Amino acid sequence: MAWRRTTLPGTVLLALLALLVTAGGALTPGSAADPDRPRAVPSATAVPDRKVTLRLTFADAPAMVDALIAAFHKRYPDITIEPRYTQFADYVKSIKLTMASDTAPDLAQFAVGMDDIAARGDILDLAPYRDAYGWRQKFPATALDQLTGSGRQAASGRRLYGVPAGLSMTGIYYNKKLARKAGITRPPRTRAEFDRQLAAVKKAGMTPLGVGALDSGGLHLWAALVNNAMPPERYRDWVKGAPGATIETRRTLAATRKLVEWSRKGYFDESANGTTQTDSTARFTRGESVFLVNGNWAAGQLSEAMGKKAGFFLLPGERPGARAVSSGFSVSYAISSRTRHPQAAGAFLDFLGSRQAAKIVSDNGFLPPDGSAVPVPEGVLGEVARAHRRVTADNGMNHFPDFAAPDMLDPLRAGVQKLIAGRTTPEAYLDSLQDVWEDRYGGAP
Amino acid sequence: MKRPASRAARRRSRSWRDYRGYLYVLPAFAVYLAFAVLPALHTAYLSLFEWDGVTLGSWVGLANYREVFADPALRGSVVNALVLVVFFSFLPILAGLVMTGLLALPRTPSGAGQARRRGMGVYRLLFMLPQVVPLVAVGVTWRWLYGEDGLINETLGGVGLGGWARAWLGDFDWALVAVGLVGTWVLSGLCMMLFLSGVQKIDPQLYEAARLDGAGPVREFVSVTLPQLRGELAVALTVTTVAALASFDIVYVTTGGGPGEETTVPGLLVYRLAFSAGKVGLASALGVLLSLLILVIVYVVNRLSRPERSEP
Repeated sequence: MAWRRTTLPGTVLLALLALLVTAGGALTPGSAADPDRPRAVPSATAVPDRKVTLRLTFADAPAMVDALIAAFHKRYPDITIEPRYTQFADYVKSIKLTMASDTAPDLAQFAVGMDDIAARGDILDLAPYRDAYGWRQKFPATALDQLTGSGRQAASGRRLYGVPAGLSMTGIYYNKKLARKAGITRPPRTRAEFDRQLAAVKKAGMTPLGVGALDSGGLHLWAALVNNAMPPERYRDWVKGAPGATIETRRTLAATRKLVEWSRKGYFDESANGTTQTDSTARFTRGESVFLVNGNWAAGQLSEAMGKKAGFFLLPGERPGARAVSSGFSVSYAISSRTRHPQAAGAFLDFLGSRQAAKIVSDNGFLPPDGSAVPVPEGVLGEVARAHRRVTADNGMNHFPDFAAPDMLDPLRAGVQKLIAGRTTPEAYLDSLQDVWEDRYGGAP
Repeated sequence: MKRPASRAARRRSRSWRDYRGYLYVLPAFAVYLAFAVLPALHTAYLSLFEWDGVTLGSWVGLANYREVFADPALRGSVVNALVLVVFFSFLPILAGLVMTGLLALPRTPSGAGQARRRGMGVYRLLFMLPQVVPLVAVGVTWRWLYGEDGLINETLGGVGLGGWARAWLGDFDWALVAVGLVGTWVLSGLCMMLFLSGVQKIDPQLYEAARLDGAGPVREFVSVTLPQLRGELAVALTVTTVAALASFDIVYVTTGGGPGEETTVPGLLVYRLAFSAGKVGLASALGVLLSLLILVIVYVVNRLSRPERSEP
């Protein structure tokens, strides 16, 4: 009896385990894509003339989304869009399952990892609408290029999985008043000139460059250096996983060494590795650094806090007048392959390219896809807008480097921290990035 | 093999009695099975697949486990967690014992009845507070304290140790210590509460006897209180060790695992691998190994804390 008493639960567990293992084939996690669902939007753009409700799930800029939806509803009174906001961190980790479920929303904000969702067929290829609506004229080419998926198929550029509403871009802010104290009267025109300016600020006893490397400030700085070293087309091949692409080149190595050199010379905030982007921005507004690495999303705050003292420029290239290259992405939206109203959803995406949408986007602190649709704002906001136009004109907008793979963010963040602290070599850092890349896209062919 | 009917009947009734107990346990067992055992087994099962969380997974056997052992970043995270045990477990227990000693002893000669110190409730509230505050709030607060202009650096500057000031959470040598001390701060109060409640059930006669033998407060603590707290010590050690090895929130909020991988712990990696990297199988394998490690440590703790001879 005692024997039976002690082993009954054990027997149950064993039986369950056996069940799980023997039924392995049937219980393989996940499910294959449904081959019957459409892979692309229809080419017809006619909007249905009956009442339609679309559901939109998103994670960025709720105020902007509300305004866009309201303006769109005014233009198409029959189409109602119900927004559903999710915090960004939760959004990114749940979006795959959301889009794979039978109750997927009609529209969804594009995020890292969306390429996998596209590959599985859970969002529609928008290429027919791109041609029917003439989106190539309404949106910057690089902004659309970033939404064409990854891997082998991306290289062809034939597909399209999202349409941008607001764009983002990184660059360098500077405190004009403090810069003048160090004898700097204008933004640098070459990387070498920027080197000299950093040295001059250091010599004047101030902290040259604020970097919030605790989170993503470090990788923005590294990306800015790489943008000007590596030909953008080669860099984009790498981010998109084109066969044989590599980040381990002579030029990226030199760019990475530059970052280490700046750190060794004490050009960064001493506590860069312990400072968040938000904190480094706050310190910059207090005059605790002369330059700051950040993106256009900080421009509103800096303009308010510093007024005319704040300026903005892109990290310059080797030679004056070199191609303007920067890192950025967009708040953009994709259409679910389970939607019953692809035309209505398409009409909303097309609306994002309108002048009316551009104004809403600009009012909410993003760069509109069509910069000419809104007047150039005053002060630092205007400097950001003008820099963005140069980048768009030069076809110079690169992806953020973490778009190369879903698990690229941590090696980038941790890697730059190690570079700043002198705990790794530039070679080993680039090698670790390439390892993650090869883990995702396969080794050299 | 024939048996008398009466014996068979007795046997039947006895076996019914044997199993009747399970009937009472059944509701609890069903909940436990559905929400603890099956998810754990499912995780173990998933660890044998390469799966991104959505598309069809593929069977890879033990490859995920091999990767956990082969990847220096994954192994390093386990080492970091073991370092955290010192801060989450040893230091809080030490602090809890010291505070218990100060708060619960020495007693008034007239006996345990009047042993309550004045303001005991206030002390308890103060030391228990870190346990009540959500860990995310704790993390955010400490990030400020550790910041370059934070209270800790200001204090160092104030006492003339400005040279020591640094961004603690971004320092390769100090980040893990800094994160660990947050855990010490959180868990010391818990240990103290455990020990204080344990002290209350100690027979006052033991103290009287010790005092008659001429023991001072320190001797009393070492010879009477400490041995009597054996059970509470085991509980504290178990709870805090699990908290250290399974730590996630504090690290996630304060450093995100940085700088470099200095403060990366397995809990953080499980989360990242499963939800950001789309490597559910590898995350599961790491989770399973972490659970096994915790089980082994808890088993050892309980083995060591068991009294040598059971009392009558």
